[in-house]
Amino acid sequence: MQISENSTELTDKFMEVDHHVLNFLDSMDTYLILMDSLSSTLRQGWLELASARHSMGAARVSSTLFNLKSHHASTTLEIDDVDTNVEPPLFTLCKWVASDDSEMNNGDANRKDDELSPAKPETPRARDEEPQARRAESGASPVSPDGHVQQARSRLLSMFGTLVSPKLRATQTSFEKAMEMLVEISNVRASLLHAHNQVQKDVKAAK
Amino acid sequence: MANKPQIRTNSSALIAMIADEDTITGFLLAGVGNVDLRRKTNYLIVDSKTTVKQIEDAFKDFTAREDIAIVLISQYVANMIRFLVDSYNKPIPAILEIPSKDHPYDPAHDSVLSRVKYLFSSESVASDRR
Repeated sequence: MQISENSTELTDKFMEVDHHVLNFLDSMDTYLILMDSLSSTLRQGWLELASARHSMGAARVSSTLFNLKSHHASTTLEIDDVDTNVEPPLFTLCKWVASDDSEMNNGDANRKDDELSPAKPETPRARDEEPQARRAESGASPVSPDGHVQQARSRLLSMFGTLVSPKLRATQTSFEKAMEMLVEISNVRASLLHAHNQVQKDVKAAK
Repeated sequence: MANKPQIRTNSSALIAMIADEDTITGFLLAGVGNVDLRRKTNYLIVDSKTTVKQIEDAFKDFTAREDIAIVLISQYVANMIRFLVDSYNKPIPAILEIPSKDHPYDPAHDSVLSRVKYLFSSESVASDRR
């Protein structure tokens, strides 16, 4: 009877170890696939930026035109508060958040959550929240959320002048996509390191 | 209980960048750029005139800041401060090595993959690079 219980325990233990190893290998595979996708997206972005520079002129698309006045980032991150000994941290991207608002629920927040599923390659779970319209300070009609996002995008493009090449807009879109991939990669990276730690513990326990 | 790494829960954390001009330009267009009241930016443009000391200082600064969740660094720049990048092991901010225009991504040099390679090989990564 005791031998049977012991063998059941051992089987469960081996299954747990296998689960950890599979998690680790899946995470590594997903990480490499995402890095490859990121490389493609960035290449696209660089090509579009080069085209924009070619059509607008090198002087009009240059780092000397960057806005160095105090301003908040329009695209930020949220991190879930977790105990890293138990589970990896989770990054969430918040795109085009209204920088003037102190609360996060105003403005258009496009969020992408990425939780690692060990059984299959990771695909992002996009959660589009219906944003609330901003109240105008002067009492004029409220700005629609889509309008706010377009305004934010146009504001950033205006760094390089009032009239910009469509290629520069395409560059912006490509790098937005790259940003989403990077957040996904961050989550997969965290899962990979967490799975690696678990496998290391199992190896030490086996010795 | 062993000391656990502190996780900062930020309502809006930033993404820092240490990369070439084109990569920084692209990500600034995506809305990642932040300049505080002291005119400190969350990015460093690396060109031919940037010294290794400047890159090291920027890396140390970004990884010490409470308001930064991810640090993007071009892999060829990370190679210049490889010892510093590889010795960094906190979960936040996460360090992501990205390709650049002229230097494609090389998994062999990625600090995360180097760290986990030990599971597959008994040789140290450091000795491979010498």
